Amino acid sequence: MKIKQFLISLFFVLFALTSVVQAGGHPAPATDAVAEESAEEKVYQPKSISELMGSFWETTGINAIIDIDDGEMTAEPAGPSAERPMTWFESSLGRIIMIILVFILFYLAIAKNFEPLLLIPIAFGGLLANIPLAHMGGEHGMLGVIYNMGIANEFFPLLIFMGVGAMTDFGPLLANPKTAILGGAAQFGIFGSLIGAVAMGFGLQEASAISIIGGADGPTSIFIANRLAPDMLGAIAVAAYSYMALVPVIQPPIMRALTNKAERQIKMGVQRKVHRLEKLIFPIVVIMLSMLILPESTPLIGAFAFGNFAKESGVVDRLSDTMQNSLINIVTIFLGLGVGSKLAADKFLVLETMGIMIIGLIAFSAGTAMGVLMAKVMNKFSDEPINPLIGAAGVSAVPMSARVVSKVGSEERPGNVLLMHAMGPNVAGVIGSAVAAGVLLSIFK
Amino acid sequence: MEEVNLLAESFKFMILGMSVVFLFLIALVQFIKLQAYLINKYFPEAPPAPATPVANTSEDENKRVAAIIAAVSEFRKNKS
Repeated sequence: MKIKQFLISLFFVLFALTSVVQAGGHPAPATDAVAEESAEEKVYQPKSISELMGSFWETTGINAIIDIDDGEMTAEPAGPSAERPMTWFESSLGRIIMIILVFILFYLAIAKNFEPLLLIPIAFGGLLANIPLAHMGGEHGMLGVIYNMGIANEFFPLLIFMGVGAMTDFGPLLANPKTAILGGAAQFGIFGSLIGAVAMGFGLQEASAISIIGGADGPTSIFIANRLAPDMLGAIAVAAYSYMALVPVIQPPIMRALTNKAERQIKMGVQRKVHRLEKLIFPIVVIMLSMLILPESTPLIGAFAFGNFAKESGVVDRLSDTMQNSLINIVTIFLGLGVGSKLAADKFLVLETMGIMIIGLIAFSAGTAMGVLMAKVMNKFSDEPINPLIGAAGVSAVPMSARVVSKVGSEERPGNVLLMHAMGPNVAGVIGSAVAAGVLLSIFK
Repeated sequence: MEEVNLLAESFKFMILGMSVVFLFLIALVQFIKLQAYLINKYFPEAPPAPATPVANTSEDENKRVAAIIAAVSEFRKNKS
Protein backbone atom coordinates (compact mmCIF):
# COMPACT_ATOMS: atom_id res chain seq x y z
CA MET A 1 0.00 0.00 0.00
CA LYS A 2 2.75 2.41 0.94
CA ILE A 3 4.44 1.88 -2.38
CA LYS A 4 1.25 2.60 -4.23
CA GLN A 5 0.68 5.85 -2.30
CA PHE A 6 4.27 6.86 -2.93
CA LEU A 7 3.90 6.24 -6.65
CA ILE A 8 0.70 8.27 -6.80
CA SER A 9 2.25 11.19 -4.95
CA LEU A 10 5.32 11.01 -7.17
CA PHE A 11 3.07 11.13 -10.21
CA PHE A 12 1.32 14.23 -8.86
CA VAL A 13 4.61 15.97 -8.12
CA LEU A 14 5.87 15.22 -11.65
CA PHE A 15 2.61 16.41 -13.14
CA ALA A 16 2.80 19.66 -11.19
CA LEU A 17 6.41 20.18 -12.25
CA THR A 18 5.78 19.60 -15.94
CA SER A 19 2.81 21.92 -15.98
CA VAL A 20 4.91 24.64 -14.30
CA VAL A 21 7.63 24.12 -16.91
CA GLN A 22 5.11 24.26 -19.72
CA ALA A 23 3.58 27.46 -18.41
CA GLY A 24 7.04 28.98 -18.14
CA GLY A 25 8.05 27.80 -21.60
CA HIS A 26 4.99 29.15 -23.37
CA PRO A 27 3.97 32.53 -22.05
CA ALA A 28 0.52 33.44 -23.28
CA PRO A 29 0.76 35.75 -26.32
CA ALA A 30 0.32 39.40 -25.44
CA THR A 31 -2.51 39.81 -27.94
CA ASP A 32 -4.63 37.25 -26.10
CA ALA A 33 -4.25 39.20 -22.88
CA VAL A 34 -5.31 42.39 -24.63
CA ALA A 35 -8.31 40.66 -26.15
CA GLU A 36 -9.34 39.35 -22.74
CA GLU A 37 -9.08 42.81 -21.21
CA SER A 38 -11.22 44.41 -23.87
CA ALA A 39 -13.73 41.60 -23.51
CA GLU A 40 -13.91 42.30 -19.78
CA GLU A 41 -14.41 46.00 -20.37
CA LYS A 42 -17.41 45.30 -22.58
CA VAL A 43 -19.87 44.70 -19.77
CA TYR A 44 -23.32 43.73 -20.95
CA GLN A 45 -25.84 46.56 -20.64
CA PRO A 46 -29.53 45.81 -20.30
CA LYS A 47 -31.34 46.62 -23.55
CA SER A 48 -34.93 47.32 -24.35
CA ILE A 49 -36.67 45.17 -26.94
CA SER A 50 -36.57 47.98 -29.52
CA GLU A 51 -32.83 48.40 -29.01
CA LEU A 52 -32.36 44.65 -29.51
CA MET A 53 -34.39 44.76 -32.69
CA GLY A 54 -32.42 47.77 -33.89
CA SER A 55 -29.03 46.21 -33.28
CA PHE A 56 -30.16 43.01 -34.95
CA TRP A 57 -31.26 45.05 -37.98
CA GLU A 58 -27.75 46.52 -38.12
CA THR A 59 -26.31 43.02 -38.60
CA THR A 60 -28.65 41.87 -41.36
CA GLY A 61 -27.53 41.60 -44.96
CA ILE A 62 -30.48 43.70 -46.10
CA ASN A 63 -29.18 46.61 -44.06
CA ALA A 64 -25.63 46.06 -45.29
CA ILE A 65 -26.79 46.28 -48.88
CA ILE A 66 -29.18 49.21 -48.41
CA ASP A 67 -27.08 51.31 -46.05
CA ILE A 68 -24.27 52.46 -48.26
CA ASP A 69 -22.25 54.38 -45.68
CA ASP A 70 -21.81 51.69 -43.06
CA GLY A 71 -18.03 51.75 -43.33
CA GLU A 72 -17.71 48.06 -44.11
CA MET A 73 -14.16 46.98 -44.92
CA THR A 74 -13.10 44.84 -47.87
CA ALA A 75 -12.02 41.31 -47.04
CA GLU A 76 -8.35 40.66 -47.82
CA PRO A 77 -6.55 37.37 -47.25
CA ALA A 78 -3.36 39.32 -46.54
CA GLY A 79 -4.82 40.65 -43.30
CA PRO A 80 -6.34 43.87 -41.94
CA SER A 81 -3.43 46.03 -43.13
CA ALA A 82 -4.47 45.52 -46.77
CA GLU A 83 -8.12 46.33 -46.14
CA ARG A 84 -9.84 49.52 -47.17
CA PRO A 85 -13.38 50.82 -46.75
CA MET A 86 -15.79 49.69 -49.46
CA THR A 87 -17.20 52.25 -51.82
CA TRP A 88 -20.97 52.62 -52.04
CA PHE A 89 -21.01 50.80 -55.36
CA GLU A 90 -19.06 47.82 -54.07
CA SER A 91 -21.16 47.30 -51.00
CA SER A 92 -24.53 47.61 -52.72
CA LEU A 93 -25.07 47.38 -56.47
CA GLY A 94 -21.75 45.67 -57.20
CA ARG A 95 -22.65 42.80 -54.91
CA ILE A 96 -25.96 42.29 -56.62
CA ILE A 97 -24.31 42.30 -60.07
CA MET A 98 -21.75 39.75 -58.91
CA ILE A 99 -24.40 37.48 -57.42
CA ILE A 100 -26.30 37.56 -60.72
CA LEU A 101 -23.04 36.76 -62.54
CA VAL A 102 -22.51 33.81 -60.21
CA PHE A 103 -25.94 32.48 -61.10
CA ILE A 104 -25.08 32.78 -64.79
CA LEU A 105 -21.95 30.72 -64.11
CA PHE A 106 -24.07 28.10 -62.33
CA TYR A 107 -26.33 27.98 -65.36
CA LEU A 108 -23.39 27.53 -67.75
CA ALA A 109 -21.94 24.78 -65.59
CA ILE A 110 -25.13 22.82 -64.96
CA ALA A 111 -27.28 23.34 -68.04
CA LYS A 112 -24.54 23.80 -70.63
CA ASN A 113 -21.96 21.52 -68.99
CA PHE A 114 -19.03 23.93 -69.43
CA GLU A 115 -16.22 22.56 -67.26
CA PRO A 116 -18.56 22.12 -64.28
CA LEU A 117 -15.70 20.75 -62.20
CA LEU A 118 -14.13 24.19 -62.26
CA LEU A 119 -17.08 26.51 -62.60
CA ILE A 120 -19.16 25.13 -59.73
CA PRO A 121 -16.48 25.63 -57.02
CA ILE A 122 -15.39 28.99 -58.48
CA ALA A 123 -18.93 30.32 -58.75
CA PHE A 124 -19.87 29.13 -55.29
CA GLY A 125 -16.74 30.71 -53.90
CA GLY A 126 -17.85 33.91 -55.60
CA LEU A 127 -21.26 33.64 -54.02
CA LEU A 128 -19.74 33.20 -50.55
CA ALA A 129 -17.30 36.04 -51.11
CA ASN A 130 -20.13 38.46 -51.85
CA ILE A 131 -21.98 37.84 -48.61
CA PRO A 132 -21.94 41.10 -46.67
CA LEU A 133 -20.43 41.36 -43.18
CA ALA A 134 -19.40 37.68 -43.00
CA HIS A 135 -15.85 38.57 -44.11
CA MET A 136 -15.29 35.14 -45.60
CA GLY A 137 -12.51 36.29 -47.88
CA GLY A 138 -10.62 37.82 -44.95
CA GLU A 139 -7.54 36.48 -43.24
CA HIS A 140 -9.56 34.27 -40.87
CA GLY A 141 -12.52 33.59 -43.13
CA MET A 142 -12.98 30.24 -44.82
CA LEU A 143 -12.09 31.47 -48.31
CA GLY A 144 -9.20 33.57 -47.03
CA VAL A 145 -7.72 30.59 -45.20
CA ILE A 146 -7.96 28.48 -48.36
CA TYR A 147 -6.43 31.29 -50.39
CA ASN A 148 -3.48 31.70 -48.05
CA MET A 149 -3.04 27.95 -47.80
CA GLY A 150 -2.35 27.26 -51.44
CA ILE A 151 -2.94 30.07 -53.88
CA ALA A 152 -0.96 32.93 -52.37
CA ASN A 153 2.08 30.64 -52.18
CA GLU A 154 1.58 28.95 -55.60
CA PHE A 155 1.19 25.50 -54.07
CA PHE A 156 -2.15 24.39 -55.52
CA PRO A 157 -1.19 25.05 -59.17
CA LEU A 158 1.80 22.75 -58.74
CA LEU A 159 -0.35 19.99 -57.25
CA ILE A 160 -2.74 20.33 -60.18
CA PHE A 161 0.20 20.00 -62.55
CA MET A 162 1.26 16.84 -60.73
CA GLY A 163 -2.20 15.36 -61.20
CA VAL A 164 -2.36 16.39 -64.85
CA GLY A 165 1.05 14.77 -65.34
CA ALA A 166 -0.22 11.56 -63.80
CA MET A 167 -3.26 11.62 -66.08
CA THR A 168 -1.39 12.40 -69.29
CA ASP A 169 -0.38 9.70 -71.72
CA PHE A 170 2.52 10.93 -73.82
CA GLY A 171 2.10 8.03 -76.23
CA PRO A 172 0.55 10.11 -79.06
CA LEU A 173 3.32 12.69 -78.81
CA LEU A 174 6.02 10.02 -78.79
CA ALA A 175 4.45 8.28 -81.77
CA ASN A 176 4.41 11.44 -83.86
CA PRO A 177 6.93 13.83 -82.30
CA LYS A 178 6.78 16.56 -84.93
CA THR A 179 3.26 17.51 -83.80
CA ALA A 180 5.00 19.00 -80.75
CA ILE A 181 5.87 21.99 -82.93
CA LEU A 182 2.16 22.81 -83.11
CA GLY A 183 2.13 23.11 -79.33
CA GLY A 184 4.85 25.70 -79.73
CA ALA A 185 3.05 27.70 -82.40
CA ALA A 186 0.01 28.10 -80.18
CA GLN A 187 2.17 29.93 -77.63
CA PHE A 188 2.20 32.82 -80.06
CA GLY A 189 -1.09 33.73 -78.42
CA ILE A 190 0.82 34.51 -75.24
CA PHE A 191 3.46 36.74 -76.77
CA GLY A 192 1.22 38.34 -79.38
CA SER A 193 -1.26 39.46 -76.76
CA LEU A 194 1.62 40.70 -74.61
CA ILE A 195 2.07 43.40 -77.23
CA GLY A 196 -1.68 44.03 -77.21
CA ALA A 197 -1.74 44.38 -73.44
CA VAL A 198 1.15 46.85 -73.49
CA ALA A 199 -0.63 48.82 -76.20
CA MET A 200 -3.68 48.99 -73.95
CA GLY A 201 -1.59 50.65 -71.27
CA PHE A 202 -0.67 47.85 -68.88
CA GLY A 203 2.85 47.76 -67.47
CA LEU A 204 5.28 45.15 -68.80
CA GLN A 205 5.00 42.81 -65.80
CA GLU A 206 1.24 43.07 -65.67
CA ALA A 207 0.97 42.58 -69.42
CA SER A 208 3.09 39.42 -69.18
CA ALA A 209 0.92 38.04 -66.42
CA ILE A 210 -2.26 38.72 -68.38
CA SER A 211 -1.02 37.37 -71.68
CA ILE A 212 -0.22 33.96 -70.19
CA ILE A 213 -3.99 33.40 -70.32
CA GLY A 214 -3.32 32.70 -74.02
CA GLY A 215 -1.81 29.40 -72.95
CA ALA A 216 -5.31 28.53 -71.75
CA ASP A 217 -3.84 27.00 -68.67
CA GLY A 218 -5.33 27.90 -65.30
CA PRO A 219 -2.53 26.62 -63.05
CA THR A 220 0.20 28.29 -65.10
CA SER A 221 -1.73 31.56 -65.12
CA ILE A 222 -2.06 31.52 -61.33
CA PHE A 223 1.60 30.66 -60.95
CA ILE A 224 2.74 33.55 -63.13
CA ALA A 225 0.21 36.09 -61.87
CA ASN A 226 1.41 35.44 -58.34
CA ARG A 227 4.98 36.27 -59.27
CA LEU A 228 4.44 39.17 -61.65
CA ALA A 229 1.16 40.88 -60.77
CA PRO A 230 -0.31 39.58 -57.49
CA ASP A 231 -2.94 42.32 -57.42
CA MET A 232 -4.50 41.05 -60.60
CA LEU A 233 -4.41 37.39 -59.66
CA GLY A 234 -8.15 37.11 -59.15
CA ALA A 235 -9.20 38.52 -62.48
CA ILE A 236 -6.47 36.61 -64.34
CA ALA A 237 -7.40 33.30 -62.74
CA VAL A 238 -11.09 33.83 -63.40
CA ALA A 239 -10.38 34.80 -67.02
CA ALA A 240 -8.09 31.82 -67.57
CA TYR A 241 -10.55 29.35 -66.10
CA SER A 242 -13.54 30.81 -67.90
CA TYR A 243 -11.75 30.59 -71.23
CA MET A 244 -10.75 27.02 -70.41
CA ALA A 245 -14.42 26.35 -69.83
CA LEU A 246 -15.36 28.12 -73.04
CA VAL A 247 -12.97 26.15 -75.28
CA PRO A 248 -15.89 24.37 -77.02
CA VAL A 249 -17.45 27.75 -77.83
CA ILE A 250 -14.42 29.81 -78.82
CA GLN A 251 -12.31 27.36 -80.78
CA PRO A 252 -14.58 25.78 -83.44
CA PRO A 253 -15.45 29.04 -85.29
CA ILE A 254 -11.77 29.96 -85.51
CA MET A 255 -10.90 26.48 -86.71
CA ARG A 256 -13.59 26.59 -89.39
CA ALA A 257 -12.68 30.09 -90.53
CA LEU A 258 -9.06 29.22 -91.19
CA THR A 259 -9.48 25.90 -92.98
CA ASN A 260 -11.46 24.69 -95.98
CA LYS A 261 -13.64 21.63 -96.08
CA ALA A 262 -11.12 19.42 -97.86
CA GLU A 263 -8.50 20.18 -95.22
CA ARG A 264 -10.86 19.44 -92.39
CA GLN A 265 -11.65 16.05 -93.90
CA ILE A 266 -8.06 14.88 -94.07
CA LYS A 267 -7.68 11.47 -92.52
CA MET A 268 -4.53 10.79 -90.53
CA GLY A 269 -2.73 7.45 -90.49
CA VAL A 270 -2.61 4.98 -87.65
CA GLN A 271 -0.02 5.80 -85.03
CA ARG A 272 2.88 3.45 -84.43
CA LYS A 273 3.06 1.48 -81.22
CA VAL A 274 5.20 3.17 -78.58
CA HIS A 275 7.70 1.19 -76.55
CA ARG A 276 7.13 1.18 -72.80
CA LEU A 277 10.69 2.36 -72.16
CA GLU A 278 10.14 5.43 -74.33
CA LYS A 279 7.24 6.51 -72.15
CA LEU A 280 9.24 5.83 -69.02
CA ILE A 281 12.25 7.86 -70.11
CA PHE A 282 10.28 10.76 -71.58
CA PRO A 283 9.56 12.65 -68.32
CA ILE A 284 13.25 12.41 -67.46
CA VAL A 285 14.20 13.83 -70.86
CA VAL A 286 11.79 16.73 -70.37
CA ILE A 287 13.07 17.56 -66.90
CA MET A 288 16.70 17.34 -68.04
CA LEU A 289 16.04 19.69 -70.95
CA SER A 290 14.25 22.24 -68.81
CA MET A 291 17.01 21.95 -66.22
CA LEU A 292 19.58 22.86 -68.85
CA ILE A 293 17.66 25.50 -70.76
CA LEU A 294 15.19 27.05 -68.36
CA PRO A 295 15.45 26.27 -64.64
CA GLU A 296 12.78 28.95 -64.01
CA SER A 297 10.16 26.65 -65.44
CA THR A 298 11.17 23.59 -63.42
CA PRO A 299 8.61 24.00 -60.60
CA LEU A 300 5.82 23.52 -63.14
CA ILE A 301 7.54 21.05 -65.43
CA GLY A 302 9.05 19.21 -62.46
CA ALA A 303 5.68 18.59 -60.86
CA PHE A 304 4.28 17.54 -64.22
CA ALA A 305 7.17 15.18 -64.93
CA PHE A 306 6.96 13.68 -61.44
CA GLY A 307 3.29 12.82 -61.89
CA ASN A 308 3.96 11.30 -65.29
CA PHE A 309 7.00 9.35 -64.10
CA ALA A 310 5.00 7.89 -61.21
CA LYS A 311 2.37 6.77 -63.70
CA GLU A 312 4.73 5.29 -66.27
CA SER A 313 7.01 3.58 -63.75
CA GLY A 314 4.18 1.12 -63.22
CA VAL A 315 5.29 0.20 -59.71
CA VAL A 316 3.60 2.97 -57.70
CA ASP A 317 0.06 2.67 -58.99
CA ARG A 318 -1.26 3.67 -55.58
CA LEU A 319 0.56 7.00 -55.71
CA SER A 320 -0.29 7.79 -59.30
CA ASP A 321 -3.88 6.78 -58.64
CA THR A 322 -4.05 9.22 -55.73
CA MET A 323 -2.49 11.99 -57.79
CA GLN A 324 -4.88 11.64 -60.69
CA ASN A 325 -8.01 11.15 -58.58
CA SER A 326 -8.27 12.06 -54.92
CA LEU A 327 -5.46 14.60 -54.76
CA ILE A 328 -6.45 16.53 -57.87
CA ASN A 329 -10.10 16.49 -56.80
CA ILE A 330 -9.32 17.90 -53.37
CA VAL A 331 -7.06 20.55 -54.81
CA THR A 332 -9.67 21.47 -57.44
CA ILE A 333 -12.23 22.12 -54.70
CA PHE A 334 -9.83 24.35 -52.80
CA LEU A 335 -8.48 26.07 -55.89
CA GLY A 336 -11.98 26.79 -57.13
CA LEU A 337 -13.15 28.25 -53.85
CA GLY A 338 -9.96 30.25 -53.44
CA VAL A 339 -10.15 31.70 -56.94
CA GLY A 340 -13.85 32.33 -56.39
CA SER A 341 -13.03 34.52 -53.41
CA LYS A 342 -11.62 36.97 -55.93
CA LEU A 343 -15.08 37.31 -57.47
CA ALA A 344 -15.95 39.69 -54.62
CA ALA A 345 -17.40 42.89 -56.06
CA ASP A 346 -14.61 45.07 -54.69
CA LYS A 347 -11.96 43.02 -56.51
CA PHE A 348 -13.69 41.97 -59.69
CA LEU A 349 -15.74 44.99 -60.73
CA VAL A 350 -12.81 47.22 -61.63
CA LEU A 351 -11.91 48.58 -65.02
CA GLU A 352 -8.78 46.42 -65.28
CA THR A 353 -10.90 43.27 -65.25
CA MET A 354 -12.52 44.27 -68.52
CA GLY A 355 -9.09 44.76 -70.09
CA ILE A 356 -7.94 41.40 -68.76
CA MET A 357 -11.00 39.61 -70.10
CA ILE A 358 -10.58 41.19 -73.54
CA ILE A 359 -6.85 40.52 -73.79
CA GLY A 360 -7.38 36.98 -72.51
CA LEU A 361 -9.88 36.32 -75.27
CA ILE A 362 -7.57 37.78 -77.92
CA ALA A 363 -4.65 35.77 -76.56
CA PHE A 364 -6.62 32.57 -76.59
CA SER A 365 -7.99 33.11 -80.08
CA ALA A 366 -4.58 34.09 -81.45
CA GLY A 367 -3.07 30.91 -79.98
CA THR A 368 -5.72 28.76 -81.60
CA ALA A 369 -5.37 30.54 -84.94
CA MET A 370 -1.60 30.28 -84.96
CA GLY A 371 -1.73 26.58 -84.16
CA VAL A 372 -4.13 25.93 -87.04
CA LEU A 373 -2.03 27.99 -89.48
CA MET A 374 1.13 26.18 -88.43
CA ALA A 375 -0.59 22.84 -88.97
CA LYS A 376 -1.60 23.97 -92.47
CA VAL A 377 2.02 24.80 -93.26
CA MET A 378 3.18 21.46 -91.87
CA ASN A 379 0.57 19.65 -93.95
CA LYS A 380 2.04 21.24 -97.09
CA PHE A 381 5.58 20.09 -96.36
CA SER A 382 4.99 16.78 -94.64
CA ASP A 383 4.92 13.38 -96.34
CA GLU A 384 2.10 12.11 -94.16
CA PRO A 385 -1.12 14.10 -94.22
CA ILE A 386 -1.75 16.33 -91.21
CA ASN A 387 -5.24 17.57 -90.50
CA PRO A 388 -4.91 21.30 -89.74
CA LEU A 389 -7.60 21.03 -87.08
CA ILE A 390 -5.17 19.38 -84.68
CA GLY A 391 -3.20 22.62 -84.56
CA ALA A 392 -5.97 24.13 -82.46
CA ALA A 393 -5.13 21.62 -79.74
CA GLY A 394 -1.78 23.34 -79.27
CA VAL A 395 -3.28 25.50 -76.53
CA SER A 396 -2.74 23.62 -73.34
CA ALA A 397 -6.30 23.04 -72.16
CA VAL A 398 -5.84 19.29 -71.67
CA PRO A 399 -7.77 17.30 -72.77
CA MET A 400 -10.58 19.69 -73.54
CA SER A 401 -9.23 21.17 -76.76
CA ALA A 402 -8.18 17.77 -78.11
CA ARG A 403 -11.75 16.62 -77.57
CA VAL A 404 -13.09 19.68 -79.33
CA VAL A 405 -10.79 19.02 -82.30
CA SER A 406 -11.97 15.44 -82.45
CA LYS A 407 -15.60 16.53 -82.32
CA VAL A 408 -15.21 19.05 -85.15
CA GLY A 409 -13.27 16.50 -87.18
CA SER A 410 -15.90 13.81 -86.84
CA GLU A 411 -18.66 16.30 -87.71
CA GLU A 412 -16.88 17.06 -90.98
CA ARG A 413 -16.31 13.43 -91.77
CA PRO A 414 -18.05 10.81 -89.67
CA GLY A 415 -15.66 8.13 -88.49
CA ASN A 416 -12.60 10.36 -88.66
CA VAL A 417 -11.21 10.11 -85.13
CA LEU A 418 -8.56 12.76 -84.51
CA LEU A 419 -8.48 12.48 -80.72
CA MET A 420 -5.18 10.64 -80.39
CA HIS A 421 -3.55 12.81 -83.05
CA ALA A 422 -4.73 15.95 -81.28
CA MET A 423 -3.40 14.76 -77.93
CA GLY A 424 0.16 15.15 -79.25
CA PRO A 425 0.02 18.93 -79.77
CA ASN A 426 -2.15 19.20 -76.68
CA VAL A 427 0.40 17.79 -74.25
CA ALA A 428 3.17 19.63 -76.11
CA GLY A 429 1.11 22.76 -75.49
CA VAL A 430 1.27 22.15 -71.74
CA ILE A 431 5.05 21.92 -71.93
CA GLY A 432 5.18 24.87 -74.33
CA SER A 433 3.20 27.18 -72.08
CA ALA A 434 5.25 26.16 -69.06
CA VAL A 435 8.36 27.06 -71.06
CA ALA A 436 6.81 30.38 -72.10
CA ALA A 437 6.01 31.04 -68.45
CA GLY A 438 9.61 30.29 -67.55
CA VAL A 439 10.83 32.76 -70.18
CA LEU A 440 8.60 35.52 -68.81
CA LEU A 441 9.76 34.80 -65.26
CA SER A 442 13.40 34.84 -66.31
CA ILE A 443 12.98 38.26 -67.95
CA PHE A 444 11.79 39.88 -64.74
CA LYS A 445 14.21 38.12 -62.45
CA MET B 1 16.33 59.43 -68.41
CA GLU B 2 14.94 58.51 -71.77
CA GLU B 3 11.44 57.17 -72.19
CA VAL B 4 11.33 53.38 -72.52
CA ASN B 5 9.44 52.25 -75.58
CA LEU B 6 7.27 49.56 -74.03
CA LEU B 7 5.92 48.33 -77.35
CA ALA B 8 9.39 47.74 -78.74
CA GLU B 9 10.28 46.07 -75.47
CA SER B 10 7.33 43.70 -75.65
CA PHE B 11 8.18 42.93 -79.27
CA LYS B 12 11.64 41.85 -78.13
CA PHE B 13 10.00 39.67 -75.46
CA MET B 14 8.00 38.00 -78.18
CA ILE B 15 11.05 37.22 -80.29
CA LEU B 16 12.92 35.84 -77.29
CA GLY B 17 9.94 33.89 -75.99
CA MET B 18 8.89 32.30 -79.25
CA SER B 19 12.44 31.32 -80.16
CA VAL B 20 13.02 29.72 -76.74
CA VAL B 21 9.72 27.83 -76.93
CA PHE B 22 10.48 26.55 -80.42
CA LEU B 23 14.07 25.72 -79.56
CA PHE B 24 12.93 23.77 -76.54
CA LEU B 25 10.32 21.83 -78.47
CA ILE B 26 12.60 21.15 -81.43
CA ALA B 27 15.26 19.86 -79.05
CA LEU B 28 12.57 17.75 -77.43
CA VAL B 29 11.48 16.33 -80.77
CA GLN B 30 15.06 15.42 -81.63
CA PHE B 31 15.52 13.71 -78.27
CA ILE B 32 12.28 11.78 -78.72
CA LYS B 33 13.43 10.58 -82.14
CA LEU B 34 16.85 9.65 -80.79
CA GLN B 35 15.48 7.71 -77.85
CA ALA B 36 12.90 5.96 -80.04
CA TYR B 37 15.71 4.90 -82.38
CA LEU B 38 18.01 3.74 -79.56
CA ILE B 39 15.35 1.91 -77.60
CA ASN B 40 13.95 0.09 -80.59
CA LYS B 41 17.46 -0.86 -81.65
CA TYR B 42 18.74 -2.21 -78.34
CA PHE B 43 15.53 -3.25 -76.56
CA PRO B 44 13.26 -4.40 -79.37
CA GLU B 45 9.75 -5.18 -78.23
CA ALA B 46 9.43 -8.93 -77.69
CA PRO B 47 7.48 -10.51 -80.57
CA PRO B 48 3.98 -11.47 -79.44
CA ALA B 49 4.00 -14.91 -77.85
CA PRO B 50 2.32 -17.63 -79.94
CA ALA B 51 -1.36 -17.35 -79.20
CA THR B 52 -2.32 -21.03 -78.91
CA PRO B 53 -0.17 -23.74 -77.35
CA VAL B 54 1.03 -26.27 -79.91
CA ALA B 55 0.05 -29.27 -77.75
CA ASN B 56 -3.61 -28.69 -78.55
CA THR B 57 -4.26 -32.02 -80.29
CA SER B 58 -7.62 -33.30 -81.41
CA GLU B 59 -7.56 -35.94 -78.68
CA ASP B 60 -7.35 -33.22 -76.00
CA GLU B 61 -10.14 -31.38 -77.72
CA ASN B 62 -12.39 -34.46 -77.66
CA LYS B 63 -11.71 -34.97 -73.96
CA ARG B 64 -12.61 -31.35 -73.22
CA VAL B 65 -15.82 -31.56 -75.20
CA ALA B 66 -16.76 -34.76 -73.39
CA ALA B 67 -16.09 -33.17 -70.02
CA ILE B 68 -18.20 -30.14 -70.90
CA ILE B 69 -21.11 -32.27 -72.10
CA ALA B 70 -20.92 -34.35 -68.93
CA ALA B 71 -20.91 -31.25 -66.74
CA VAL B 72 -23.85 -29.69 -68.57
CA SER B 73 -26.00 -32.82 -68.42
CA GLU B 74 -25.16 -33.22 -64.72
CA PHE B 75 -26.19 -29.60 -64.14
CA ARG B 76 -29.49 -30.07 -65.97
CA LYS B 77 -30.21 -33.26 -64.03
CA ASN B 78 -29.70 -31.45 -60.74
CA LYS B 79 -31.89 -28.63 -61.86
CA SER B 80 -34.92 -30.71 -62.83
